[in-house]
Amino acid sequence: MAARRVLKAVLVDLSGTLHVEDSAVPGSQEALKRLRNAPVAIRFVTNTTKESKRDLLERLKTLEFDIAEDEIFTSLTAARNLLEQKQVRPLLLVDDNALQDFRGIPTNDPNAVVVGLAPEHFNYRMMNKAFRLILDGAPLIAIHKARYYKRKDGLALGPGPFVTGLEYATDTKATVVGKPETTFFLEALSGTGCKPEETVMIGDDCRDDVGGAQNAGMLGILVKTGKYRAADEDKINPAPYLICESFPQAVDHILHHLL
Amino acid sequence: MHQLQAAGRAVRAMAEWAKQLAGIKGVMLDISGVLYDSGGEGGGVPIPGSIEAVEKTRLNCGCYSTHAHVDMSTAFAMIKASGLKLRFCTNETQATRGKFVAKLQRLGFNILVNEVTAPAPAACRILKERNLRPHLLVHDDLVPEFDQLDKANPNCVVIGDAADNFSYKNLNEAFRVLIGLENPILISLGRGRYYKETDGLKLDVGVYMKALEYACDVQAEVVGKPAKMFFQSALAEMEVEPQQAIMIGDDIVNDVGGAQQCGMRALQVRTGKYRPCDEQHPEVKADGYVNNLAEAVDIIVKQLHK
Repeated sequence: MAARRVLKAVLVDLSGTLHVEDSAVPGSQEALKRLRNAPVAIRFVTNTTKESKRDLLERLKTLEFDIAEDEIFTSLTAARNLLEQKQVRPLLLVDDNALQDFRGIPTNDPNAVVVGLAPEHFNYRMMNKAFRLILDGAPLIAIHKARYYKRKDGLALGPGPFVTGLEYATDTKATVVGKPETTFFLEALSGTGCKPEETVMIGDDCRDDVGGAQNAGMLGILVKTGKYRAADEDKINPAPYLICESFPQAVDHILHHLL
Repeated sequence: MHQLQAAGRAVRAMAEWAKQLAGIKGVMLDISGVLYDSGGEGGGVPIPGSIEAVEKTRLNCGCYSTHAHVDMSTAFAMIKASGLKLRFCTNETQATRGKFVAKLQRLGFNILVNEVTAPAPAACRILKERNLRPHLLVHDDLVPEFDQLDKANPNCVVIGDAADNFSYKNLNEAFRVLIGLENPILISLGRGRYYKETDGLKLDVGVYMKALEYACDVQAEVVGKPAKMFFQSALAEMEVEPQQAIMIGDDIVNDVGGAQQCGMRALQVRTGKYRPCDEQHPEVKADGYVNNLAEAVDIIVKQLHK
């Protein structure tokens, strides 16, 4: 590997890395405190389609994590930024909980389509509405393209199949804003003044967290908590920079070897 | 002056494909977007001139008089016995073939059930041959077409143009059947992107086929246009060779591209789902473009009488 500059920023995934559902990963609040004493910028990055920033923050506070709202960067934030940049008015096919992250964005007479995870909106009528807008030139923005996810009652379709269907119908490509897209990682860093080669990403999703970050020029550390399954590390090439049992070990490695 | 020049160009352009008509023995017609636009209260509206165009095609066979009420079965026998064969090839899956044809008859079209090649009857044959028990994600009105099949403990999914039945819940059920199969089989009745109804463009089965393909990492088997097998079975019914047949449709990929892949000639009509950009399609070039079915039939009939 080429000579690296000194580490200046750490990106941390939330679900599966700092906590699994409503329990914190043991020792991670303490580990975060240790990391805060080091001269690095910290950002928390997550692919969320259902939870607004405020929902996330509330849960993290309950779990006694010391995190500020402006340190969190989600796929919803990325979508919002893109809408502002393009100055478009979206038809929002997102969960009602996620709507507050789009507050203030005009949605009258829409000329863009944003697709998140919104089973209640994925009916034929709404899909047709989205389709006609895209056919008329509205950009299609996908929060992410997950194929399916696990629900209490079994597997359920994610946003990916619906995005893929709309892409096929209109012969266009969606702009995907969440992990593992490079732009997501770069945007998460904006405001820190740090470069990708000065950054390490810690997460439990080998493809979306580690692979995505490494493609953006960062180091990636895979933790074996959350959705991690044996041999996940074989899913990407080049392999993860490092594999750790959990978040506290990843922090220890950073403090001892990367600063 | 400009108008005259434009008209002149149009005639010359028409002549180009019309010159190639020698040897044509059969005409294959798409239905939705060519004969009529579907949707609305009466189930659709005929495209101007298309009822007469179908009649004209039949007349050209010297088959029978269109005066008043010709007995349908006699008419059919006469067409069969005539030179120019007529067949309808549709991807319609919102109703059984019988109900669909009855609707067209109500709209004024002279058309018979056994002149129509449609995906659901074709899929039924395949399911029977391969001992497949389908989970159906189709329009309620299509379900009777599958009455004869065992549907318990499904080992494949059949997807059609389910329209309002394309809810998240229904799609999720089909997804769960597929993802639970060791060897997931997805059979799609067509792969169209969208079609036109009286109140606008609507998503077609292909969109949901793609969604399930992506979710389960499978490749669907398509029964219907543009599948070669489907055109071949329609040609077999007509008893003509591909190079003796001309397809007329509004879908540049599924009608025109599919028919050409099969060795037929194909015209695109500027009705139904037609969009001007179709004429610059990167992969498919129709043998000719016509304003509507009436114009196509006019030219074909004139040319064959020369």
